[in-house]
Amino acid sequence: MRPTILSILLYVATCATTYAQSLCAPVADRCEDHITAQYIPDGQFYRALLQGDEVADFGMTLFGGTTYRLAACSGDSDGLLLFAVYDRDRNLLFTNKEHSAAPYWDLAVANTLEVTVEAHLDPARSGSGCAVLLVGFKK
Amino acid sequence: MLFLAACGGGEPSPQETVVTDSLLTTDTGQNRVLQLGGRNFSIPSPVQAAFAIRNAGLKYDPSLLTDTRKATSMTSRSTRAMALGMLGADMAYVTVHRDGQKALATLQAIERASAQLDLSNAFDKALLERFKNNLSSEDSLLRFSGLAFRAADEYLKNNDRIDVSTYVLVGGWIESLHLTIADPAAGQDQALMARVGEQRRALDDLIHLVGALPSEDQDITVLSGLKALYGTFSGITSTYVYEAPVTEVASRTTFINSKTEVVITPDQIATIVAQVKELRTKILV
Repeated sequence: MRPTILSILLYVATCATTYAQSLCAPVADRCEDHITAQYIPDGQFYRALLQGDEVADFGMTLFGGTTYRLAACSGDSDGLLLFAVYDRDRNLLFTNKEHSAAPYWDLAVANTLEVTVEAHLDPARSGSGCAVLLVGFKK
Repeated sequence: MLFLAACGGGEPSPQETVVTDSLLTTDTGQNRVLQLGGRNFSIPSPVQAAFAIRNAGLKYDPSLLTDTRKATSMTSRSTRAMALGMLGADMAYVTVHRDGQKALATLQAIERASAQLDLSNAFDKALLERFKNNLSSEDSLLRFSGLAFRAADEYLKNNDRIDVSTYVLVGGWIESLHLTIADPAAGQDQALMARVGEQRRALDDLIHLVGALPSEDQDITVLSGLKALYGTFSGITSTYVYEAPVTEVASRTTFINSKTEVVITPDQIATIVAQVKELRTKILV
């Protein structure tokens, strides 16, 4: 029996999902350790499969009077993922590149603002992998 | 099964094409930007809304909550997912108001709603048990709740069920907004109203997320309701002034002091209240 286009597409989609899952799950488990007990997880899971200089970005609203913890992980050890936070005018608010690629950082937000978080692999340490970003906050 | 066995694994070689899951790639000059489901997003946690409601001193009103029987009798996948999101927002609301009895009832409804969506395995059983055993601890409950919904979100994304993931977020966002503005006294609290006005980006993200789903997964009623709501939100004005952040390396903390000012009129609030009420009614019909 010859494979139909549909079965080939299904095969590709299944492989993609299986691949992403196997690659991202252990990264997520490790990253979760950085959202320690004082922080409430935001209930969402962010991931991207990156290669080379690809950048994963996402927008978020940070509410005033809240301290957020961002944890960014890839591969099997800390420090492989570089991330930066920009405001809506592209002013750089923070980058872990200036802090030894710290896997997590706290943002204490005085007033609500919209930001974009951009994450990419450290080219010196990783060529491809799953990037996981987790967010927690405390009152 | 054969297909699964043939999928292979391990780290890709540099020559291999990286599977991008549901990621689209766009060229933005020096670097390419990957977008999940057409757009990366972060929708504010319902827990934050619940804290804002409590901080504003609004009266706790359990009559605002979604009827758990109704929430667990939805028939379509999108309404079931939205009902699950609503129950999650309700859970945050009753927890920060220390209503343990309602929290337990809501948790049971969440378990039923998640089973209807074949999500029973996604909600970590151990987490749910810990939840039940910590009903007197607000912090523990909120943390467990956040962990449970994150586990479910991870499961949904890993299993390519982006539509369910999206509608859970939509339901949670609508319910949070409903809980925030249903009390007329909310309109008197400037900080709370500013918080409402600051939801425009989240709403925009939700519209794009639903709009990016395959047409057969799009709930047109909800999408048009969200777009109508956005029409009102787009009339809200906000100004932003950048201030240089201050970083304290020892505590791994950056203090962000930029200022945003939101101006929302009583008429806009009244319109949002009416639109949210209508949308919520349509979902729970």
